Amino acid sequence: MNRVAVALWNPIVAKEYRSRMRTWRSPVAMTVYILLLGGLGWAIFSAMSAAARNVFNGSPANYGQALFLSLVIFQMVLLAFITPALTAGAISSERERQTIDLLFVTKLPSFSILWGKLLASMSFVFLLLLLSVPIFSLVFLFGGIELDQVLAAFLVTAVAALTLGVIGIACSTAFRRTLPATVAAYGASFILLAGSLLYGLLFPTSIDPNATAAPAPPAVSYISPLLPLVTIGTSLPVTWYGIGPGFGSGGGGGMMCSGTPGGGQSCVPLNASGKGVASPIYRNPPQPTGTTIPSGLFAGWQYWQATITLQLLISLAALVLSAILIPPTRRPPWARRTRAAAGGS
Amino acid sequence: MIAVQGLTKVYGHRTALDAVSFEVPKGEIFGFVGPNGAGKTTTLRILAALLEPTAGRAFVDGADVMRQPDLVHERLGYMPDFFGVYDQLTATEYLDFYAACYRIPRARRTKIAADLLELVGLADRRDQSVDTLSRGLKQRLCLARALVHDPAVLLLDEPASGLDPRARVEMREILKELQRMGKTIVISSHILPELTELCTMIGIIDQGRMRATGPVQEVIRELTSGRRLRIMVMGRRDEALAILKALPSIRTVDMINGAIEAQYEGDDAMAASILQALTAAGISVSGFSQLEGGLEDAFLKATSEDVG
Repeated sequence: MNRVAVALWNPIVAKEYRSRMRTWRSPVAMTVYILLLGGLGWAIFSAMSAAARNVFNGSPANYGQALFLSLVIFQMVLLAFITPALTAGAISSERERQTIDLLFVTKLPSFSILWGKLLASMSFVFLLLLLSVPIFSLVFLFGGIELDQVLAAFLVTAVAALTLGVIGIACSTAFRRTLPATVAAYGASFILLAGSLLYGLLFPTSIDPNATAAPAPPAVSYISPLLPLVTIGTSLPVTWYGIGPGFGSGGGGGMMCSGTPGGGQSCVPLNASGKGVASPIYRNPPQPTGTTIPSGLFAGWQYWQATITLQLLISLAALVLSAILIPPTRRPPWARRTRAAAGGS
Repeated sequence: MIAVQGLTKVYGHRTALDAVSFEVPKGEIFGFVGPNGAGKTTTLRILAALLEPTAGRAFVDGADVMRQPDLVHERLGYMPDFFGVYDQLTATEYLDFYAACYRIPRARRTKIAADLLELVGLADRRDQSVDTLSRGLKQRLCLARALVHDPAVLLLDEPASGLDPRARVEMREILKELQRMGKTIVISSHILPELTELCTMIGIIDQGRMRATGPVQEVIRELTSGRRLRIMVMGRRDEALAILKALPSIRTVDMINGAIEAQYEGDDAMAASILQALTAAGISVSGFSQLEGGLEDAFLKATSEDVG
């Protein structure tokens, strides 16, 4: 095996798989996961069937879209609960069990320990994602959702889970005990999913009537996977969130815009209290098209692309932090002699 | 094989190790003795490249623990005083896992695991889950784990702690076998009689300072006051006592259980001259032997001195 293969696949992964899959917890977790996701799918399906029998209020495609959107959001929330639980104890539990020193004295580099733990935990998360595929396939019975939307949603979910996993590992490395590591990992998970969206609500992008591009929510809010999941599920431009006056906009005013059925944009002047003061003014500013970010740092990107990019950057930062924190001795690499140069003294 | 030079470790305002120095040549068993909190574990952790010293240097088989931790890990096997085991793994899988961590090819791992389980007497437990093993068996398994990469040096931190007498004897036998295999072993322990029997060298540490180090009997001799002779004579006991008391090398003379016990200053040649003085005076000597001081005496002497 070459060095990359050795770094990527190491004994920790095999040992973790073996330990994890021999307990009753793993099959139970998988079963509960599928039951929850399937249960939600079935409930929505039943509700829609009942509604369709009584009144016709939409095409099957809308049902498919609604079902898909509900499932991807619910899956994301489920994984936000599961992933920190899997990773926040990865390193700290080794410390608590007093097994970490036994790993440090082997030839495994500290980063391999970290990577092995991450890979083993994330494999289980990705297994859960894989298990959900048959449930998602039900969406195609209704139509309204293309395969590329499903793939994009899964990609966003997988990257978000990975980010949560790496953050969990970082917390597990930074804290000596599993309990504070888990609390910190859930806190980070909440910030990632909801906190970034809250930022968009509190500090939305104000509308500039003279702007040459349509407004887009603040870039911080793209960190949340929920925003791209909604845009993927609905295929509609984001006009309902992160635009207009927020708590941070001072004296109020500004405008609140929303999409119109015709594809235009309806903008309402707002007073200081944030309430509309006049009937909608139909303007003709540049309109966002599809799920593309119309302006700002990520102008021209898809929301999911921006989210994945930001999350991978966060993951990288968390991984680097973990790699710095994990070694038992904090000797910088340049202070170590290379193996070739070390002959013995 | 192991060289420690002026090793110092400071935690905040507390000095855990204060310029500790010692050397352990190849093939020796070095007993590291000291009261709780003396700095034994700190020293061993530094030697295992698990802890950075505040000052000083340490070498394991020529590898600098600070600058070449990878080499150090290749060359030593470490058994901590407290350790855990993983759930859901059999004894064979446990050893196979650590052998894999030492990058030992898969083809060799099975045989290594089987051989080591045989060595530590766990061959019949190879398929037992490691978390269900007793403490003594876990200790043996951990010793086997420390040997998976066939290291030249073994650092064993309290390997016999918490073991029942039988398990201790078994552990001692395993260590003797390892000594025969040519391993250099450093053992920290509180069980002094066992160390006297097992170790070839000893280091006594107290409050972070090395009080004495060297071959076991030499350290004992240095720390216990003088050497003692046990002399049996045929009659003329009072005359023999008077002769001994008159010799300048003799410090004290006592009668214990019908035998004369004399404490003297000097080496083996001096002992011979004492015997010569008795026989020259016509005393019939039926028994003449040197009494070695105990490690307990040496330990108490070394650790009772004022630190200053």
